[in-house]
Amino acid sequence: MLIDFRFKALDPIRNNVNWILRPLEYVMMAPRNAFEATSEYFTTRSTLDQENQVMKVRQAELSLLANQSEFLMVENQNLRELMTLQKQVPFKTLPVEILFNPPNPISQRIVINRGSNDGLKLGNPIANDSGILGQVVRLYERSAEVSLLEDRDFAVPVQVARNGLRAAVFGAGRGNPLELRYLPVASDLEVGDILLTSGIDGVYPPGFAVAVISKIERNVDKNSSNVFCVPIAAVNRYRQALAFLYDPQLDAKAAANNKSASGAPLTNTPGRRQTRARGMQ
Amino acid sequence: MIDFQSGYILRPVNPVFIYFSLFCALLLNLLPIGNYGWVPDWLILCIVFWNIHQHRYVSVITAFILGLMMDVHNSDLLGLHAFSYSLVAYVAISWHRRIVALTVLSQALHLLPIFLLVSLFPVLAHWLLSGELYWWALTGAIQALIEAMLWPLATRVLLAPQRRPIDVDHNRPL
Repeated sequence: MLIDFRFKALDPIRNNVNWILRPLEYVMMAPRNAFEATSEYFTTRSTLDQENQVMKVRQAELSLLANQSEFLMVENQNLRELMTLQKQVPFKTLPVEILFNPPNPISQRIVINRGSNDGLKLGNPIANDSGILGQVVRLYERSAEVSLLEDRDFAVPVQVARNGLRAAVFGAGRGNPLELRYLPVASDLEVGDILLTSGIDGVYPPGFAVAVISKIERNVDKNSSNVFCVPIAAVNRYRQALAFLYDPQLDAKAAANNKSASGAPLTNTPGRRQTRARGMQ
Repeated sequence: MIDFQSGYILRPVNPVFIYFSLFCALLLNLLPIGNYGWVPDWLILCIVFWNIHQHRYVSVITAFILGLMMDVHNSDLLGLHAFSYSLVAYVAISWHRRIVALTVLSQALHLLPIFLLVSLFPVLAHWLLSGELYWWALTGAIQALIEAMLWPLATRVLLAPQRRPIDVDHNRPL
């Protein structure tokens, strides 16, 4: 256990056991999948009609937005060039399917059906249509384990959408609300503020919704405020998600890599968070 | 082997059946039910059963290998289940003479500490490593209780092939 915890030396064994175990897991997922398929097959015509209607409206809205956003994107890139700022890095997305939720009382993880063979990398963010879900923390050839936002000490650098205030959201364990730590009392926050990824860590692309502030406790004595948030994406609900194959070359991470090449050892590889010196993974 | 419940001599066990039942328990553990603390661990029930009744076929090493598989499936620290399963297998084997002589219900009561050890071991290991104890993770105790309650059922199902009569006399059933 210590060898695995400290040195990550047992990964080959884990990979081999996983290679044996994965087909069995697929076999045992068959009854659930069959059940879901049949219940979907027997959905009534009216619900399908309703769904269709909603989808059509949504599609019209989205296509309008997409036209607009392309224009805005070009304008943004041009302005950035004019101001000699860094360009936004484009990235690909990969549709993934959530296979199952491993029964483990201590961590909150999911297993997805894409792995290193599909181009997934350690530290890639996973999101669904409404916001960020988590991050790839262990990679196999054809599957990967993803830590969810709710996982203990899982940190995401965010920005308040309303005023651009930067902070970090931390997971507080299963079933507990997320926390916004290390903020002074006087910080300009309100209940209902939306937190977006800030992109300064080079792991998450900027501008994706993460959480909504649900409760603020201001503690004047200690000059700190306890801010609790709720994840925007339904973390434990859907089966489909998207992986962002995001790898910014011109970012803080690249700078850190250069620094490590010149001597100092690089400890903060993506996916292994530095805040987590203690505790199990 | 004598069945202490009925006093009859049991038929010899079929090793194929032992490994088949262990495999089935492993498959049951792989069912994608979700991340709930109370879902019984079928594999440890099966392992402890065979450790007590047939420890020549199912030893500490078998428990270790199956525990390793559960570690990978649960995305736990490699060795967490492997260690707790083999620890429990050792305890079960060293108690097996005493336990088979009891009635099924008191067997279940005797095995409750064993199941508790398995369920709470990850929480305790985590406590040792990080110094934080998660009280809500102690729902594993419910899992142990459910496993102890399933013990009579396990005895009935897993001993059934050995309780068959050797030659069935259709004219004079017992």
